[in-house]
Amino acid sequence: MSTALERGVETLKGQIDGRVMSYFSSCVSCGICAEACLFYTETGDPRYTPIYKTEPLRKVWRQNYTFWGKLTRSLGLSKPMTEADLADWEVLVYDGCTMCGRCTMVCPVGIDIAYLIRKVKEGMAAAGFVPDDLLKAGERALEFGSPMGLTAKSLRSAVTAQEKEIGMTIPVDVEGAEYLCMLSANEVVAFSEYIGSLAKIFAAAGISWTLSSEYFEATNTGIQIGDSGIAAELIGRAVAVAEKLKVKTLISPECGHAYTTIRWDAPNILGRPLPFKVMQIMEVLDQLRAEGKLKTTGSFNERLTYHDPCNISRRGGVLKQPRDLLNLVAPNFVEMRDHGSMNWCCGGGGGVSSNERADPLRLKVFDVKKRQLDELDVTTMVTACSNCRNMLDDGLEANDMDIEVIGITELVASHLAER
Amino acid sequence: MKHTTAAVIQDTGEARQRRKRYMLWSFLLLIAMTLVLPLIPYAVAYVQDGSAVRNPGSELWREVRQRDQAVIGQTQADNVDAGILINKRGEEWRLFRMKKLIPFGAILIGGILGLIILFYLIRGTLRLPGGRSGKRILRFTLNERIVHWFTVVIFWILALSGLITLYGRYVLVPLLGPEGFSVTASASLMAHNTLGPIFLVAILALFFTFVKNNFFARGDLKWLTKAGGLLGGHASAGRFNAGEKIWFWLAVILGLALCVSGLILDFPNWGQGRVVFEWSHVVHGISAVVMIAVSFGHIYLGTVGMEGSLESMTTGYVDATWAEAHHDRWYEEVRNAGEIEEPGQSDLSGGVASGGVAQSRSTD
Amino acid sequence: MLKELIDGIFWDIALIVFLAGIVWNLLAVFTRGIKKDLAVPRGSGLVGAVMTNVRRFYPHHEIAPRIRFQVVSGYLFHVGLLVLLFFARPHVEFVKDISGVGWTPVPDWIFNLAYEIAFAGLLLLLLYRLLSPVTRLISRTDSYVGSILVLLVMFSGCLAMLESFEGLRLFHRFMVELLMIYFPFSSLMHAFLFIPSRGYSGAMFGRRGVDI
Repeated sequence: MSTALERGVETLKGQIDGRVMSYFSSCVSCGICAEACLFYTETGDPRYTPIYKTEPLRKVWRQNYTFWGKLTRSLGLSKPMTEADLADWEVLVYDGCTMCGRCTMVCPVGIDIAYLIRKVKEGMAAAGFVPDDLLKAGERALEFGSPMGLTAKSLRSAVTAQEKEIGMTIPVDVEGAEYLCMLSANEVVAFSEYIGSLAKIFAAAGISWTLSSEYFEATNTGIQIGDSGIAAELIGRAVAVAEKLKVKTLISPECGHAYTTIRWDAPNILGRPLPFKVMQIMEVLDQLRAEGKLKTTGSFNERLTYHDPCNISRRGGVLKQPRDLLNLVAPNFVEMRDHGSMNWCCGGGGGVSSNERADPLRLKVFDVKKRQLDELDVTTMVTACSNCRNMLDDGLEANDMDIEVIGITELVASHLAER
Repeated sequence: MKHTTAAVIQDTGEARQRRKRYMLWSFLLLIAMTLVLPLIPYAVAYVQDGSAVRNPGSELWREVRQRDQAVIGQTQADNVDAGILINKRGEEWRLFRMKKLIPFGAILIGGILGLIILFYLIRGTLRLPGGRSGKRILRFTLNERIVHWFTVVIFWILALSGLITLYGRYVLVPLLGPEGFSVTASASLMAHNTLGPIFLVAILALFFTFVKNNFFARGDLKWLTKAGGLLGGHASAGRFNAGEKIWFWLAVILGLALCVSGLILDFPNWGQGRVVFEWSHVVHGISAVVMIAVSFGHIYLGTVGMEGSLESMTTGYVDATWAEAHHDRWYEEVRNAGEIEEPGQSDLSGGVASGGVAQSRSTD
Repeated sequence: MLKELIDGIFWDIALIVFLAGIVWNLLAVFTRGIKKDLAVPRGSGLVGAVMTNVRRFYPHHEIAPRIRFQVVSGYLFHVGLLVLLFFARPHVEFVKDISGVGWTPVPDWIFNLAYEIAFAGLLLLLLYRLLSPVTRLISRTDSYVGSILVLLVMFSGCLAMLESFEGLRLFHRFMVELLMIYFPFSSLMHAFLFIPSRGYSGAMFGRRGVDI
């Protein structure tokens, strides 16, 4: 056994909890999970069957925690695990899976396959079978605080540009503000109108908020790589900043896995409950709407639809809020055939879009989104995740589709009633 | 002895003579009456019925035995066929089974099997002309394959158990002894009767799944005259050739006949009389041996007989060379629709196309 | 001699392995346990666990057309098996003999119908497993052994349905004993573990307030 294999197998053993044992014991290899996964349905390749992607973990479970596995191993009748058992799964796990969790929704015995994939990644990361692009992003995140290598300087210039654009100050590093807004690197670089939109909405609602220049990154490359160490370090920095600024609520921005990480995973990664509330930006906006603090005027009359970011809706639980917000300003809002908790993943989440090797594959599996859109004949698509936004833009361009993709916060902000 | 006065006074020689005459004539009259009286009904019957005179007892038994015509009597038992004491047709039916069905069935099944083996020994497996191209075409979808193999499994359990019932006496009793065979017979009967109704579902599914391309069309007759190319030259065919179409319709018609007759036999709860059972059995038996015999041909051609055929029904795919050689008109359609898959198309789409990617089946 | 073994010691061994194996398997899962979830829940995990257990009995309409075959065949098999296993007269009598507990069996014609449905369902599922590229890739030896053992138990039961021959009854019982010994160490344990599996995932859904 080589060292990489040993590290991988030991890590995987440590990942096996009661849920993993129950899941693998219940799986009858029915293959229904494949029919929910866009990587299988759009390529027809059975190797993308979700439960097949968990083979490395399943083998470790089988050989170490089951009667037949332990018996055949002790009698020398089973094939021992080799490095190929991990290496050969790198493409399947990192290129061919976004951990969107659609498979989890359909398994007849209720296996949370996305949960298992997350654990498989821990083993892959320990053994070193992670796409180079992701590893580099992780290094940048650790060094600079952002996987794109952005620094406080980048934030400040984006903030300054937005202040000029909207004509109001944007609070940064304000201690004692009620809300701390995290950002994803995309929002600093490509969609900085998000920052301006926040300013306009919060000013109109009269609530105090702030950004942090010390640490602003909401995304977590550690989660994407599957390395708990990196994940804990990165989320620890975010939590530390929120504690330092003594905010009551941390707002997760338009980013899918950022939300599940900070809202649902962070306390468990850090081993302690968080001393502040965590809300997704749409939860905040919807709360303001319900409290009468979000007044809009006019409407966006284009025929539009909403793309549910998987980690916000299906895995995160924020489903109703975007609909309530869109119904404020979009009279021609139509749902895709498969929406809400059964929507189709954009194909770029979980680190897939950061991995250049996966580009042809993720563009291929966009076909399912294309079919959903072709049915609707919309001009605009609204979403709440900037990574989805990039992926959707890529896919629409590759397919020559003339649909504009906009962020929901920006859409709401552009229809704010004058005070 | 003391005589009466009359008898003593009258007892002269003449009186004695007279008495003797009376006694003689009485005796003769008695004899005559004994002989003649019983013949009077005969004479009456003779006059009435002509030359044949029936014994009323034999009349009854002739009716019971149904020698001349079917006669249904009346009884207090409220049951179908209760009025028939002896089923004359039963013997005819039994003779049909023992003397016609069993021997001719054995000849048919054995004969076709023999012909197939002979054909294989002479001609061997029909190879793909020019070898495989590596390009593949989807011939049978998953649904079609499942329906086919489902029918196969049910058919073979029923065929085997049916053959045990028909030929067990000759083949298995010598091997297992009568007691041993009784176990086998009981088991096979239960399997046959319980799984029989499923065959109806299978045949109906088979019909609706495959009927679309099985209608006879232009070119089928020509294909038959060329014996599918066996008699030299190339025989053009669409998705299914004439031979396959004949097998399809034979299987469906015989299969349905087996199902209907089988259901009648399996469920005697609907007031069927013996005659219905007899005819059902005849239909069932004949259909079964014909279907089993012809199925051997289908199985041979689908496995050993022709290279590249079996995989069409297991993987669903056939090699392009096979398609062009045996179903050229279908091959044209597929080619025009762009549905021929090049080799290497099965690599992970868009991802790393060669080695280092998980290829293996899940193992323990 | 076979009769004494199959009706006697083999049965005892099979029953012990079956019951103890199931308990051991369940204990292994529950004693391994899971870490407590420290995130503030949005909803009740228990409600989610129960509701998901119910919800997974019918597929989401978005995916139903794609998986109709597996779902229909699966239900044919499971429902048929449930009826014939627990309500067939010979089985009810068997349980009454060994335990004293009895209940009303179904009429024989329902038993037959349930058998036909279960057999057809299982055969269809086994064929699907063999013919679909997805299941052919992910199926393991265990998947096939489990299906075939159940098929053998069912088929041997059918052969013995006349209840006239000891040999056939013993063959059926022996197949059952083999299945009982195999059961606790195989994916057949899904018969029990589907509840905690659905439950664990459901608890996660419930806490996160996700639509199930």
